[in-house]
Amino acid sequence: MAVSASDIRSALSLPSSSTPVQSATTAPRKYQGQVTKKPEGISRELYALIGPSAPSLVAHLAKPRLKQKPNFGSGGKVKWEWRPFRNAGRTDSLQLGHWVKTTDDPDAEYSFAKYNVQSQSYTYSQEEYTRFLEDKDWTKDETDILFNVVREYDTRWYVVHDRYEPPPDSPTRSLEDLKDRYYSVCRKLIRNRPWAGDEASKAQLLNSYQFDKDRERMRKDYIASLEDRTPEEIAEEEALFIELKRLEQNERKFKKERDELLRTLLGIDSGLPDIVAEEDGLSALSAEGFKKRKKNANEIEIPSTPSNIISLGPPPPKRAQSAKSAALDAQNCIIRVEPPASSATKITHAPVHLRSFKLPAPKAALLPKVTQALTELGINHTRLVMPTRENCARLESLIEATTALIDTKKVVDRVEQDIRVLRVRLGRASEGAEEDGKEGTPMEVDGGAEAGADADADADADAEGEVDGRAQSILSTRSGRGRKQSRRSMSVSSIGTSASARVGKRQKRG
Amino acid sequence: MVNYGGDEVSALVLDIGTSSLRAGYAGDDIPKAVIPSFYGYHTVDGDVQMGENTLENFESTPKPPPSDAKPYVGRDGPLIWRENMELGNPVRDALIVDFNPIPTLISHALVDVMRVNPSEHPVLVTEPAWNTAANRERMAEIMFEEFHVPAFYIANTGVLNAFAAGKGSALVIDVGYAMASITPVVDGFVLRKGLVSSALPKLVKAHARHILSNPTPMRRGIELLPHQLIASKLPVEPGAPPKFTLREDRISGTTNSWRGWCENREVEEWMQSVAGVLDQGWNDQAAASRPARQYEFPTGYNTYFGPERYQVGEQFFFHSPQLVAQNPNLPKNIPTLLSESLRACDPDLRQVLMGNVVLTGGGSLFSGFADRLEAELSRNFPHVKIHAPGNPIERRYGGWLGGSILASLGTFHQLWISREEWQEHGKPIVGQRCK
Repeated sequence: MAVSASDIRSALSLPSSSTPVQSATTAPRKYQGQVTKKPEGISRELYALIGPSAPSLVAHLAKPRLKQKPNFGSGGKVKWEWRPFRNAGRTDSLQLGHWVKTTDDPDAEYSFAKYNVQSQSYTYSQEEYTRFLEDKDWTKDETDILFNVVREYDTRWYVVHDRYEPPPDSPTRSLEDLKDRYYSVCRKLIRNRPWAGDEASKAQLLNSYQFDKDRERMRKDYIASLEDRTPEEIAEEEALFIELKRLEQNERKFKKERDELLRTLLGIDSGLPDIVAEEDGLSALSAEGFKKRKKNANEIEIPSTPSNIISLGPPPPKRAQSAKSAALDAQNCIIRVEPPASSATKITHAPVHLRSFKLPAPKAALLPKVTQALTELGINHTRLVMPTRENCARLESLIEATTALIDTKKVVDRVEQDIRVLRVRLGRASEGAEEDGKEGTPMEVDGGAEAGADADADADADAEGEVDGRAQSILSTRSGRGRKQSRRSMSVSSIGTSASARVGKRQKRG
Repeated sequence: MVNYGGDEVSALVLDIGTSSLRAGYAGDDIPKAVIPSFYGYHTVDGDVQMGENTLENFESTPKPPPSDAKPYVGRDGPLIWRENMELGNPVRDALIVDFNPIPTLISHALVDVMRVNPSEHPVLVTEPAWNTAANRERMAEIMFEEFHVPAFYIANTGVLNAFAAGKGSALVIDVGYAMASITPVVDGFVLRKGLVSSALPKLVKAHARHILSNPTPMRRGIELLPHQLIASKLPVEPGAPPKFTLREDRISGTTNSWRGWCENREVEEWMQSVAGVLDQGWNDQAAASRPARQYEFPTGYNTYFGPERYQVGEQFFFHSPQLVAQNPNLPKNIPTLLSESLRACDPDLRQVLMGNVVLTGGGSLFSGFADRLEAELSRNFPHVKIHAPGNPIERRYGGWLGGSILASLGTFHQLWISREEWQEHGKPIVGQRCK
């Protein structure tokens, strides 16, 4: 292009004085760009290949820079001198010597004297002894000896017990006796002496001197009896332990197999341990089916738990609740609910969940009305601040009561409407045909009651009888409703339960 | 300096045992001077000394009592044959029973070997756990009155062995030259009720000697002659009768005590090089399966020792019922001592102690001893941990090493009994300070 440009220039006889200068400057610049300085650590050929576009590699291959050598002190010689010293921990004037740096302060206190710490110990006066510390088992002399030994050996009890030499006529004391006496005396002294600090610190101090002799003795006896076991006893215990483990494993295996069998035979996804298997169904077992079921069986099976508790993992079947575990539960506010005996379908299978996730809600059909009624009363039922078990139960009963109220109101409305209609008809009938009214009344009442039952929308097949009963008269509706209400309060919390119970029954029959 | 808690005041540590006396600077890891506790002496006054030893022994040492004139101490003392030289040992069963030659021995170690002036250094002395109060007071007296030390302390070998292993609480199994002892140590204090000891090593040596000197169907009884009494010998085939000539000139001038000591040395040497103990209890097959080992005595007699070399070590751990029935005063074996010691300890402590077993003492270097002990212990106790230093120096001089550590600690220096305190309080201060 440059060439053509110059040609044009020459053709147009334009001044071309600038052109050679430009071309002279551009050419070296290009050249410079090609040979930017090759970084160290890369061979020329490689650099020619990768070009300058590999900064990370360059950084990587850069020559490592060694850490600077540490500089010890000022570099000069350290002068040491033999210097005599006195130990502040000593009561005499013994002078020992040691090597120290000449730069060290000669008047400084001996650096190890600070470790000379005396432990605090209690002493008592004769008066205090006679007032508080009398004990029929211990004489004052013996107590004095004990306190001296304890002080001498800084309450290292094993050593104290070893070195304690009772007066000739006193009984031999066990370590627990010594500890008990010492700590009880200390406790009495703390309690009876004026206390400068607050009560809490006094109680804390008292606590630190607490000693339960019988418990200690029992513990020691237990340790001793553990040690005194003969090798045969130890072997037997171990054998028993292994046997127990084996039995447990067998039990688990057996249960698993039984469940598999059940599933194979009856086609239930049974995670439940205590469904009784029927023996004669065994012939139906096909190898293919067995394999298929086996895969399912390998999945972790969690027995279902009722919906409104925090379930604590799969509870073992037929847990024997000992008194201890009951106490523990009470202490930790754990409420265990036995899983319903027969519910084991996929529908009711509930994993571990928080109680607040399963707050009771009114039925969808009635939801707007319930919400409206509750809003009128100024209650917000969608959110529980504290979803405890009790609160959940109360919310549930509140929603039930509201639903019942709405139902009742609906029925009342309908009945009133019917009455109004009937009155109108009655009035018309009294004017005209009399036989129409006679036949129509019972039929219409019946229909109204049934409508109420429909609105109920409780798809309980068993309620058929009740509907019949309700149909008998208008007045009985309310009492029937009351009965039904009590039933439903059960069924709301366990819809799945009763359904599955039926399924279970049916399946057994099949 | 403060970081590791050490502060060396150039103290000396002195450990007197039945076989040897160890001395060195606190802070060192091996004693500078190790001399035998045995010493030779002539009962007759004015006896001629062996010319080459005069210089070594008797310069700048305190004059020994006239009855024990001129004891020969040090490396050139008892080992060298001298006419009519009797052999004595101030230490019996780890306890000092005769204080007369003690100053000579100490002086030899400190002044002649270490070349120090004891009056310039605090001295820490060791004592066995069963030492008597009178003994330790006498020792303090010797150090203060004869050596004019500025400060003195006497510490228990059991505690020091635990310290040497870096433990404050330990069950120290110490198999020495004459005594085997088990010492429970808690927080640096010996539990005296759990302390047990027996002259087991002596029994083992006697048994070994019995095995060697009595003829068996395989070989004749072995003459335990020391090389000092043998003029010349010729090499012989294994099991063949030795060909040697005695130094007849020396036989008449050899005393019984010296000869007995030399014979014991031969037995010990044989034990150290050949004898052993099976690691899983006595078993004829196991003993027979081990290779026989050759050993040559100073007479030139040499033979292979098979299973019998393992019978020796068995004495440490097991005594046959008939042997026990015959000798009511038989020293107790290690398992018996252990169970006795543990029974005297608090049940809480047993677990701690068994987790901190420290094996020490020159006798514990007996081949296979540590393995056998481990097998015995782990059979009876669930969690056993044995600290047995592989370094023979640490094992043999564990007591000295612990003393070296203790006396170089900065916090220890307030425990020294100073000269001033000694002069003020007298002997009772020893019992008060060194608990």
